[in-house]
This record gives sequence, structure tokens and C-alpha cells, in this order.
Amino acid sequence: MSSAVLSTQALISGYEPDMPIINGVDLTVSDGEFVVLLGPNGAGKSTLVKTIAGLVPVHSGRVTLKGNDITEVPPHRKLAHGLAFVPQTENIFATMTIRENLQLAAQVLDRPRRAARIDALLDMFPDLGSRPGARAGALSGGQRQMLAVARALIIEPSVLILDEPSAGLSPKVVTEVFAQLRRINAAGVTTVLVEQNVKAGLQIATRGVILVEGRIAHDAPAEQLLGDPVVSQLYLGGTPKELA
Amino acid sequence: MTPQALMDGLIAGSMIGLGAIGITLTYAILRFANFAHGELLSWGAYLAMTASGVIGFAVPQLTVPVGPFSFGWSLPLAGILAMALTALLALVVDRALFGRLRARGSAVIILVMASFGAALALRNLLEFLYTSQPGYYTRALQISKPIIDGMRATPDQLLVLALAAVAVVAVHLMLTRSAAGRSMRAVAENPHLSAITGVDVRAVIRTVWILGAVLACLAGIMSGLLVQIRPQMGHDLLLPLFAAAILGGIGSVPGAMLAGLIVGLAEAMTVQVIGAEWRAAVSFVILVAVLLLRPQGLFGRVR
Repeated sequence: MSSAVLSTQALISGYEPDMPIINGVDLTVSDGEFVVLLGPNGAGKSTLVKTIAGLVPVHSGRVTLKGNDITEVPPHRKLAHGLAFVPQTENIFATMTIRENLQLAAQVLDRPRRAARIDALLDMFPDLGSRPGARAGALSGGQRQMLAVARALIIEPSVLILDEPSAGLSPKVVTEVFAQLRRINAAGVTTVLVEQNVKAGLQIATRGVILVEGRIAHDAPAEQLLGDPVVSQLYLGGTPKELA
Repeated sequence: MTPQALMDGLIAGSMIGLGAIGITLTYAILRFANFAHGELLSWGAYLAMTASGVIGFAVPQLTVPVGPFSFGWSLPLAGILAMALTALLALVVDRALFGRLRARGSAVIILVMASFGAALALRNLLEFLYTSQPGYYTRALQISKPIIDGMRATPDQLLVLALAAVAVVAVHLMLTRSAAGRSMRAVAENPHLSAITGVDVRAVIRTVWILGAVLACLAGIMSGLLVQIRPQMGHDLLLPLFAAAILGGIGSVPGAMLAGLIVGLAEAMTVQVIGAEWRAAVSFVILVAVLLLRPQGLFGRVR
């Protein structure tokens, strides 16, 4: 069994001190896993990943990464621990070029590694590599998501967290984005994905975690959740047949 | 417009432009209009005067005018010291006032009002320490020399123009070519995304204060050298500074400098065509016109 790489223990968090949104989440993600966070609107999926990334205040509990307590580590230092986060919206610097976006992300690396990592990412994403001088704000929705993922991957993270990368994209582009995420996970990057598209999310992930009102309601292998009639009826908005 | 008015406008505009760069950077990154920025010009000018006096007292040979200029080496040395002290002052004010308000998540209007308060306190402290009597770096008289037909300038004035050009090119290159500049542009665009991309947002904020204060100090010294040093000098420049920052487009360094020159030239033209009493109205007219016709300014982005 793989070792735990990311975990939260009794995590309570929220934007206001007296209004927690996450109400005691114990989540453990093993090395190499692909976990999808699901749940109804307002369940706290995005708040949970933002808390892990350091963008939402922790009221109590702990977040650990590779055994290190990163609860109080400021967001810009979490990258040094190996945590990369791709927000749902405004996840690229639109006024900068593709290369500048990557150069900015590469600043946390040792100087000799920077150019090699930027070149590697431009090779990995040919749509970006074909025009590194293009302004990021001029890219299509799918290309923007690819750039956001490339920006996150530049540090060679242990854990990649993505908040609804499919939002606002056409089904064809979502398929391309998810195929890229599958390849990234297959390359050994532990992946946590927040997703509204239940069917697509469970098909790509190895494990599904369903949040309801800031708590984990179900945590099981993705295939099992896809076939569970009670889960699909209660939380996923349909029958297993509809989902499949 | 006569050639002399053109020269006068360029000189005034270069000082306005340097001051406006600090305002535009603060506005872009900290997202509030800092009405205390003018006081950094005044403090920079006075700190340089004090340091220059001390250096000149300790080493009298350094007060002997250098080449064609009206001042000795004591002033450039004092200027470097004053820039460091002005930057320190800006960091102290941020730590004591603006930083605390940011940490509390205060609304922009609170920060703006706080900057009014800081401006009042800094200006009156300056008047308390130095009195309202004007001060001078040098009492030496300079004779202006002809540049072209109908245009004259003193060596000090030409030096001010050259220094302003060097400063603006240096800041522009720093913002567009260096890692620190890239981080500043990133924070201006999206502080949260910057943080999760590995940018230390607090360090960037400190850099902005230091950069803005250094440029304000330089503009204050230039103004003090060419005119005189008064506690009100920064306050009097505030409207032209904001007019230039907004006309140039918030966040744009070349825009702030170009707009500073435009404001300076417009003021000089007004003095020549209409009358000196209307000089102060020019910035106000430019400010209102830009806000009505092109709120994003010359080089700013539509938000």
C-alpha cells in the first residue's frame, strides 16, 4: 500500500472565524492516487482545497504534506513542500506572455533548473510551446487551463490540486484537459481534483470523496461510487444508469 | 508654445513623472490612492538637505561645486542617504498604519482616509522640525545657457532632465526584465494567484514602497535643487502627480512618465497663454477629462 502524501486531520476552516465552511474533515491521499472531490453546490469542495493551499484561514486541525505540518505555512512557501494548486478561475496572468507565466512560476526553482523546466513544459504542451510569446489573455479557455496546469507543474509537485478545471469548457476541450491530467497522474503526480461533472470526474479518478455540508459523507473507490445507487440518488443527481 | 516654455514644461514634467511612478505602482499593487505620497517628496528633500549639511560640515571640501553645477559632492552623497531614509520612512508608515489596515481587511476608503491622515501628520511634523521657512541646497547662482534659439537652461536643469530619463528607463527595465519586476506585475494583476505561484506578496509590497519612496525622494531633491525646499512642496504637487498617474494608466511606468511630461508641458503652456494663476487648474482639468473620456488612461487596461 502506498504511503500517505497529503492529509487533513479534524480540519475546520472558513473565511470568517465564527462561520466554518469545512467542519472537521479527515482526508488522507496516498502517493500516486487520483482523488476526485464531489458534492452538491456549497458542500465546501473548493473551500477545502483552498484551505489546503493556504488561501482560506484554518480555524483548527492540521494539514500535512509528506509528514510535514504545513497548516501555518504561507501559500508561497507551500510550493517548496511540493504542493501545487490550480484555482478554478483567474488561474493565469492574462497580461503576461505564456513564457512569462512559466518564468514567474519557475522563480521558486534553483536558477540552473529554470530554463530546462520551462522548455520541458513547453514541450509537454505543444499548443503553448508553439507560441511562447503569445499573451496569455489571448488564449482559448482550454489553452488557459493547460497553461495553468503547466504553471503548477513547473515545480515538479508531489501533489497537484485542481479546482474544477472543466468549468466553462466545451465537452471536447474537457476531454483533452482530463486526458492530460490522466497522463500527469500516470507520471506519478498525486492528483486531487474538484469536479462538478460527476461522471467525468469518477471516470478519470481512482477514488471519489463526496463532501456534504463541509464533511466527508462518502469515501470510496471511484468505480464503487459510480455503481452505488444510494450515493448516486442522494448526492450525484441521478441513477447509476444515468451516470454511466 | 515658445521653446522656453517647452523646456520649463519638460523640467516640471520630469519631476511630476518621477513622483507619479510611485503613485501608480502603489495604486496598482496596494489598490488604493495614497495621498501621503507627496509627503515622501518633501521628506526626501529635507532629509537630503540635512544630510548634505552634515556631510558638508564634516568635510567642507565636498561643498565645492562640481563642474558646471551649483552643488558639491555632498548633495549626491546626501541624496543616496536620503533615499534610504525615505524608503525606511515609507516602510515604517506602512508597518504602523497601512499594513495593519490591510491585515484587518479594511475597505479601500479607509486606506485612502488613513493616507490623508498620514499626509497631515508627516507634513506638520516636517513643519515642526524645520519651520515653514524655505530651505536651499545651495545659494550659488546659476546662469542659464542657450540650448537652441529661444531656449535656455541651467546645467542643474539639464542634469535633472537626464536623471529623470535614466531613472524611468531603469525602473521600466526592472519591471519588464527582472524577476522582481515580474513579481510586481503579477501581484498587481492577481495577489492570490501570485502567492500560490510562489511570489512572496509581502516582499513585493515592501519593494513597491521602497521603489516609490526612492523615486519620490529623487523628485523632491530635484524640485528642491531647482526651486526651493518647503514643507508644502509635496502637497502642492499632489494633484499633478495623480493627474499624471491616471492619465498614464494605473500601473504603467512609461505612462506615468509620459503623462508627467504632458502635465508639465500643459502647465507651462497655460502659464504662457492664459496666466500663472491658472497653472494649478491644469492638472484638475486633465484629471477630470481623463476620468470622463478615457478612465484607463493612455497605457492602462480596461478593468
